[in-house]
Amino acid sequence: MLNHSPFITVINIIRNTTGYFLFFSSLLLSGCASVSPWQRGILAKPEMQLSTQPVQALFYEHAYGSREAASGSNAGSGGGCGCY
Amino acid sequence: MQAVEVAVAVIKKKPPHSALHALTFAALALPGIMAAPVFADNDNVDFQYGHYQEGKRNLFSVKNDKNPIEVESLFGKATFSLTDRVNFTTHYSQDTWSGATPISTAPLVAQSNRAYLADTASGQTITVGASPYLNTQLLVTKKFVPLQQNDVGKVLGKAPQLVHILSMASPETRKQGDFNLGYEWDEAAIDIGGGLSLENDYESRFGNVMSRWDFNQKRTTVNLGASYTNSDTSAILDHDASPYITKDYFATQIIQSGAMKILQGNRQDWSTTVSLTQIINKYSLFETSLGYTQSTGYLENPYKVMTIMFVDPEQTAKRLTGNLHAFLEQRPEQRNQFSMGGKFVQHIDFAEAAVHLEYRFFQDDWGIAAHTFGAEWVQPLTSTWVITPKIRYYSQDAADFYQPYLLSKQAYSKTQYDPTTGKFSLIPYDPSKLPNNFSSDQRLSAYGAISGGLSLSKRFSKAISLEAGIEYYQHAGSLKIGGGGEGHYSDFDSFMANAALKVNLANLDSRAFNLHPEHHPHHHQAHHHAHAPAGVMFDHLLTDAGSWMIGYRFMHDEQGGAMLQGTHTSSEQTIVKTGCGTGNEGCRLTPTFMDMTMHMVDIMYAPLPGLTLMLMPQFMDMAMNLRNLTDAPPVPVGGHVHSGTGHATGGIGDTGMYALIKAIDLTHHHLHVGLGLSAPTGDVDIQLRRAHQQDEGYIHYGMQLGSGTWDFKPSLTYTGQHEQWSWGAQFSSTQRLEDKGSTGYALGDVWQTTAWGSYQLSPGWSSSIRGVHTNQQAITGQFTALPGVVNGVLLDDVNQRSGPMDFAKNYGGRFWDLGFGVNYTVTDGDFTGNTLGVEWLQPLSTDVNGVQLDRQGALSATWGLAF
Repeated sequence: MLNHSPFITVINIIRNTTGYFLFFSSLLLSGCASVSPWQRGILAKPEMQLSTQPVQALFYEHAYGSREAASGSNAGSGGGCGCY
Repeated sequence: MQAVEVAVAVIKKKPPHSALHALTFAALALPGIMAAPVFADNDNVDFQYGHYQEGKRNLFSVKNDKNPIEVESLFGKATFSLTDRVNFTTHYSQDTWSGATPISTAPLVAQSNRAYLADTASGQTITVGASPYLNTQLLVTKKFVPLQQNDVGKVLGKAPQLVHILSMASPETRKQGDFNLGYEWDEAAIDIGGGLSLENDYESRFGNVMSRWDFNQKRTTVNLGASYTNSDTSAILDHDASPYITKDYFATQIIQSGAMKILQGNRQDWSTTVSLTQIINKYSLFETSLGYTQSTGYLENPYKVMTIMFVDPEQTAKRLTGNLHAFLEQRPEQRNQFSMGGKFVQHIDFAEAAVHLEYRFFQDDWGIAAHTFGAEWVQPLTSTWVITPKIRYYSQDAADFYQPYLLSKQAYSKTQYDPTTGKFSLIPYDPSKLPNNFSSDQRLSAYGAISGGLSLSKRFSKAISLEAGIEYYQHAGSLKIGGGGEGHYSDFDSFMANAALKVNLANLDSRAFNLHPEHHPHHHQAHHHAHAPAGVMFDHLLTDAGSWMIGYRFMHDEQGGAMLQGTHTSSEQTIVKTGCGTGNEGCRLTPTFMDMTMHMVDIMYAPLPGLTLMLMPQFMDMAMNLRNLTDAPPVPVGGHVHSGTGHATGGIGDTGMYALIKAIDLTHHHLHVGLGLSAPTGDVDIQLRRAHQQDEGYIHYGMQLGSGTWDFKPSLTYTGQHEQWSWGAQFSSTQRLEDKGSTGYALGDVWQTTAWGSYQLSPGWSSSIRGVHTNQQAITGQFTALPGVVNGVLLDDVNQRSGPMDFAKNYGGRFWDLGFGVNYTVTDGDFTGNTLGVEWLQPLSTDVNGVQLDRQGALSATWGLAF
């Protein structure tokens, strides 16, 4: 059982996660070289895209989402109940 | 798209020396190459089939005879640019699942999965499987540890081992359609979307908005998104299990509909995400994201129950008796979920590959913290093959209110003597002594999961690629980070496989990106004759050797309304007396509707002029409902009556392979022959789940997904055209090459004759009218006997014979239909060569074999693109 209010938990979670987020983001921004648009040939390759197989990823995400608590919390994209 | 055109224009002036060179130009021009996939940078059409299969769970004390959960998924997606800056994406997906899944957890000694015994004809009692028992009794110590007893009640020792209680689900289908509309500026984009997901017991409506902002010469991209989902549950509580489940907490949400109890609920989900993508250097980039979702309302899984062990502390015996009762699970009405993730992509020079590393942290206010780690190695092998091994690890804590089973130190109910009235009364359990929230859903337990897989993709041209993947997944309490996971009783594994066909429309005609520059792009619009109505297959050949065509074909067929005998409406008594067997074997049930939907992918290739090969995989789903017949005969003693609710099936259908051969090709007249084979890839052994303590055998013939046999499919097609007019006629047949399929029967042979006329209204549009005559024979053979158990007795054959749909004689007939169609061919612009067609077939005359449901009509829709 929860021994504190959900509100406090929410605040705690925000405090914990935002720190990491800001830390990584600032690390990134500060450590980045200036890459001119004409130097981005490699970055434009298919294997360098953030999602190389987006359609396949949707299928796997749906399967994980029906068996795991942390997946499938992406409201707004459907997915159904997954109540099996 | 504008961006591609720019790149192409640049390249056309000066041919590229290497693919990398070309890609550099593409990168220059493409807006937001690092954007989330929701911002498609090319027009494309994708199809995907996926299969999810779980392994059997261990029930320890009894054999698990139930097929585990399996899911068949179909997915289609199309993205089109409407203008240079506006794009439209539409998705369709459907999943059909069936099989056994845990509904609760209990101590193993409570024997909640009991051997399912049956008496054979020779008087022996044998074990035929396992059956769930929700309300049982067991002995526990004073400290409430379950005790193992032998057959005569002697206590053998403590037995803390747990087990899942499994229950079967009949096939069910979910369908989802959604769309997105995007607008792009030079350094920003916005995308709005919405959709619907429908299943029998759950309906979701959702909307979303995403925006993208590029900074820093597009070295930095920020995505902001928000979405909302509103979902209604109306779950039919299991007819067999419902009487044994305590539902008091949800009394106001349960309605009675006929013999069914329906649990209703509504939930809402609000979600926001922000992500930042950063190019680190020429060889690497990083994405970091933060998400928050708030869910409120009915967040339970209506099919999961909590086993509560009630132990009356006033017992004086050395060992206490515990009574197990099943309660619908109760979750908090609110859930706040946070996630934070990072993804890193690094080019590996020596291997010409890319490595993708991903981590995601999740935390909610239910007490679940989860970590997901993923790694992929994307290795291009040649210019067209890519192999990607991948590994994923996931670990989560349990929710605060998760318990495999719950202990309550009170009696579930006890009798109490009232000395003032002198009467005994029944005192029920005190709900205030139970926690507010409890669940034994495995998804909320503590565990870890590791999975690994491989995917392979092959590009046939810049425009066409095929992808296939497999993954093996293992879930175990012992895999949780830091230990303390659920016991090994809850371990399971699963297997996933997928295959996708991807077509990039923008590149179909692109000379610059053609992998085989010696092949000149074809001006397909010139060599297409007027297209036949959408419901006609095999209507044309591809003209040029080496050319391809890719298409999608949709068909929806409805039966409903009156029951017919021959050409006339059949009375209830006629159905009872003639639709099934005689006397007590007369019909008790009859269908009220039957819908069939088919999705076909149509791949055509011309190896030689005058010869076109076709491959046509299909995916189908069906739904039907039944009602009781009035004047039905009495149920025979020990009889066996079907449950009579709705059914659904779905999955891969039969796969067609065809060759079309040109016979005559004059200016105005064309004739070709089609020779085809249909492989029995569709299931013909789908069974109904056990209900009302009885096995129900194979689901009706018409609900199976394939013919079960290898079929020969010849056709002869004539087409002609003159000025704005075109016409055609086709004779086609389906001949079963085997007497029976794997389950004992074969569908009847089919002969079909059709003729049509079409008038071209404008360069792109034409309308058609068509007549069709179909003659299909009845089914031959019947389902092979399927042994099963009815009311504790093992029978040689439990197949249903309760309605006309269960009898081979009530299939096939002679039908006339009139078709009205519209075709549209894009004659200029970016989409030149795309053809779209829609046709409605209206039944004119129906003469069925035996007794059958009337026909309501059929809708066909096609899309095709030659290149």
